[in-house]
Amino acid sequence: MIQPSREAFRRFTDDETFERIRSFGTFQEMWASCLSAYPEQTAIEDNGVRYTYAALEDEAAAFRTVLAAGGAPKKVAVFGPNSFALVKTLIGAVTLGCTAAVLPAQLPDMAVLGCCMKFGVEALIYDPALKDRVQLAAQKLPGLRLIASDETAAEKTAMRPVRPEDPCLIMFTGGTTGKSKGALLSHRAVMEGTVNGCYGIPEIFGQRYLLILPLSHVFGMIRNLFTSLYTGSDLFICRNNKDMFRDAAMFRPTVLVAVPAIAELALTLSKKFGRMMLGADLKTIICGAAPVAPYLIAEYHKLGVELYPGYGLTESANLVSGNPENLTRPTSVGLPYPNQELRIVDGELWIRGANMMDGYVGEDNAAAYSDGWFKTGDLARFDDDGFLYITGRIKEIILLPNGENVSPAEVEAHFNALPFVQDSQLFEDVNALGQPILALEIVPRATELGGMQDPQKEMTEALQAVNRSLPTWQQAAKITIRDKDFDRTPSMKIARYQKCK
Amino acid sequence: MTRQEIIQELKSILISADEKNRPLVEGCTEQTNLMDTFGFSSVGILYLVIAIEETFQIRFENTTVTDFETLGSVVDYIEAKLK
Repeated sequence: MIQPSREAFRRFTDDETFERIRSFGTFQEMWASCLSAYPEQTAIEDNGVRYTYAALEDEAAAFRTVLAAGGAPKKVAVFGPNSFALVKTLIGAVTLGCTAAVLPAQLPDMAVLGCCMKFGVEALIYDPALKDRVQLAAQKLPGLRLIASDETAAEKTAMRPVRPEDPCLIMFTGGTTGKSKGALLSHRAVMEGTVNGCYGIPEIFGQRYLLILPLSHVFGMIRNLFTSLYTGSDLFICRNNKDMFRDAAMFRPTVLVAVPAIAELALTLSKKFGRMMLGADLKTIICGAAPVAPYLIAEYHKLGVELYPGYGLTESANLVSGNPENLTRPTSVGLPYPNQELRIVDGELWIRGANMMDGYVGEDNAAAYSDGWFKTGDLARFDDDGFLYITGRIKEIILLPNGENVSPAEVEAHFNALPFVQDSQLFEDVNALGQPILALEIVPRATELGGMQDPQKEMTEALQAVNRSLPTWQQAAKITIRDKDFDRTPSMKIARYQKCK
Repeated sequence: MTRQEIIQELKSILISADEKNRPLVEGCTEQTNLMDTFGFSSVGILYLVIAIEETFQIRFENTTVTDFETLGSVVDYIEAKLK
């Protein structure tokens, strides 16, 4: 069993910064500390307006008055695209002691209704632009309070204290079985996730963050918004991803929290236009939610930007580990953060600790746990220095007729190490005789093909060489170089072939 | 910028999005249906929108490349924006 220590991260940060990283029991405690430390600094920039920490609290306090009128609800849902109003209403609700379910902005009206019922929310806070999609919930649930996110009050209501074990957020997750669920995160878990994100990054306080991830995703909510607030940083809300480079050029972020597909897009565009598209001051990219190609780490390093891979789950309030040794161990997701315990059982990573959720709301949680340990569904290993590696997903394991188990991610990692491979997918297919075989498809990285005399031939040879280096039971019987990218999920992960599941 | 120059720039963007597009791009006409021919992913569309905006120094307003059926209709939009 691994019991990580915060001391493992000391050598990556100067002593003064390291000592500033401290835990809080509740969001209220953290927020009060921010208000005392950074009242006049900019907290949020959105739609051309800058809000200081004090101004954000003023708006949240007025919204607490709106919520408290007629009795403060225990549970609310917040529904809207990223905006200052979403941040203000969320902080207002949480600091009033409410549990906030954060609904993805793309949910259709039936799903909004379903979530309100399943999570038992008493109030639905919505962005006026999404008014049409809350009407069904309003009709079907007569007791549901509907509150527009631009509602405010002249009076301010004080924060209400909560305990670390009290529920704070309900966040959406695909879950380990693929069905959409709401993970209940306590204040303690949310604060662990918020603070842990600071370890191993040389410059972490007083940064400028560009928010491009949806706040309905823990990576956006906790690592992006909450860690930005905790560190007295300035968060610029990018309202439309197509404007991210224009926003980046103007705002000049120092930190970007992104999925690998976006980091890759930014790199390709930077090469095409011959300048750093993410702004001249960018120093750090926190990258996760999907496997990170070593190529990205090396290419960004050449541009003076450190890209740190990490690993996290909605169920662990986002961050489980982060990799401060990105250059020397680029395939690792790093060192596990403190206040959790990790073990590997039959290859699967199990976790328990202060950062873990209190179960899925309204679900039978028995299958998710074993003796109090959360079963991640991820296959993992540790190296001798305690660095964690994710080698695949249990549900993606391919069971071959000869009884061998093949983890696609483990095999794909060998091919992904080729510079011209942007993405790959190993899956079970059938040959002309109807026999099951392993098949591999790759998407080439366009920028790497220019220097090749005969790209098709050179790629095929390099892929075959990698294939031959693998144990025979891991070798692909068919390798296809695709013309087009794989289909992607809304979070830009590869939509894996169904036959693979 | 002439219509032909715009088309050439667009073709160069389509190739830079993915070198594998080159043979398809060479056979492109103004009538070519972009989505049917190239089948862009969500990241690919984002790339095109940003690259077109950067190259021509224009901004798409509540419109993305998915709204344009053919290469010719994208050229029409860019021409109108450049006037």
